[in-house]
Amino acid sequence: MIQFDQVTKRYSGGVEALKNLSFSIDSGEMVFLAGHSGAGKSTLLKLISGLERATSGSVMVSGHNLSKLRGSQLPFVRQHIGVVFQDHKILFDRNVFDNVMLPLDIIGFDRREAARRVRAALDKVGLLGKEKVMPIRLSGGEQQRLCIARAVVHRPAILIADEPSANLDRAYALDIMELFKSFHQVGVTVLISAHDETLMEDYGRRILRLKEGQFTA
Amino acid sequence: MKHYLFLHWQSARTALAKILRQPVGSLLSLAMLSIAMALPLSLYLTVMSIQDWVGKLTQTPQITLFMEQSAETADIAAVSSALKTHPRVKGYTFISKKQALTDLEKRNGLNGLTEGLDGNPLPDAFVVTPASLEPKQLELLQKELSGLPMVEEAQFDASWAKRLYGMVDLGKHLTVFLALALSVALVLITHNTIRMQILARRDEIEVSKLIGATDSFIRRPFLYHALWQGLLAGLVAWGLTAWLIAVANPAIAEFAQLYNERVELRGLSPLELALVLGCAVLLATLGARLAADHHLRRVSAN
Ligand SMILES: Nc1ncnc2c1ncn2[C@@H]1O[C@H](COP(=O)(O)OP(=O)(O)OP(=O)(O)O)[C@@H](O)[C@H]1O
Ligand SMILES: [Mg+2]
Repeated sequence: MIQFDQVTKRYSGGVEALKNLSFSIDSGEMVFLAGHSGAGKSTLLKLISGLERATSGSVMVSGHNLSKLRGSQLPFVRQHIGVVFQDHKILFDRNVFDNVMLPLDIIGFDRREAARRVRAALDKVGLLGKEKVMPIRLSGGEQQRLCIARAVVHRPAILIADEPSANLDRAYALDIMELFKSFHQVGVTVLISAHDETLMEDYGRRILRLKEGQFTA
Repeated sequence: MKHYLFLHWQSARTALAKILRQPVGSLLSLAMLSIAMALPLSLYLTVMSIQDWVGKLTQTPQITLFMEQSAETADIAAVSSALKTHPRVKGYTFISKKQALTDLEKRNGLNGLTEGLDGNPLPDAFVVTPASLEPKQLELLQKELSGLPMVEEAQFDASWAKRLYGMVDLGKHLTVFLALALSVALVLITHNTIRMQILARRDEIEVSKLIGATDSFIRRPFLYHALWQGLLAGLVAWGLTAWLIAVANPAIAEFAQLYNERVELRGLSPLELALVLGCAVLLATLGARLAADHHLRRVSAN
């Protein structure tokens, strides 16, 4: 499903965020990505969702070689991936419902079917009662759930979450992890990054550990 | 394909709803646009109306022969028979000095005009309809007729119409120039409106790009906004000119009456209206497209 082959990412400032990385994730797998701040977690996830391009090496996602894809094709790759952004990227000028509606608008869903899917996604993350609420009035945990609902509403085959449990207390973080597990259980390929490895260890899943752009054992 | 059309229809509807929902903000740019369009339109209609009128004047150019005051009945008969046989004369009517005077009196309501005068100052006259309307032929005929015995002058009625034609030409050039200048203004005004909108919706654009919006998806609402704005501005400009014509026409008619003429400004024909609206839509969309291309590149997904 996801395959990195000798991938290096150097930012324009000269920082080498990822150094010669190779790994693969199978379809339907649930994998954790661990590492301290600045280790390159976000960079790795951005390469998968086509938000950044590798400096060298190849990134294969769902059979597409992203390094060879034309820029105009990248949006269609993104449409098939659900992303929970580290900085949320919630739109504060519209209510919860309309935030979750955005991906379906972009894909061009029929309005009525889209509304049904938005409610289903909100129901899944436990925000169904708050669809008319403006996001500014949501708690941090609820905002995180809103992001998750938006990431899964179009039922992507791949779900990527960049530190979804940051700044949440442990009980709440475990709730969120359970949520991801439930997506994994219906066949979605899930990749989650976090600082806190203790959260991951309970799940007995594969953990990729990053340090200064390289894997450690 | 059906799906594609559906997306466009949805985009168009949303954009129109947005314009109608913020009447004040939209009104300002709408006012600017429609006034910019009403200016060349009004000028165009004025020039075209004058052209129509001048055209009517010169359609049947006539040459008026004024006889000398001392002309006798025999002289008049001679000229009359010369005209009858002339190959370049289609027809003619004789207006005696007496008839001319009564006409003048009737027209101006000046009864007893002659009482203060020493006899009738008006000459006998022939109004000649030429066979050929070709300007060269007309001039030749005019020369020939003025050479007839006891003819004081052969006046070519359309000579001043020619001068009017020159003015109409000037007006046409002016209209084209104004239309071009204001077309540029229309593009710039929409460019600016759309630029402001893009800046106001930066976050939305950025997030949309992050989750897979194509450039055309992001551009679409702005292009439709411009399209509606151009169309509405065109309609308002049409209304403005129609109103202007309705106000101006009675005054023009009254003025023309003084010279026994019927002049009136005409409105846009359906074809012209369609053309104007089409141009407005095209130019507005062009402005929006330029703004979108320029500014969307800056709101990067990364
Ligand atoms: N857009 C950018 N331009 C230049 N350098 C960048 C950019 N993004 C990240 N970097 C650098 O790349 C390195 C890896 O950053 P990255 O965001 O991937 O780390 P991270 O593991 O996600 O950290 P955190 O846990 O704090 O989110 C860092 O040294 C960072 O300074
Ligand atoms: Mg990060």
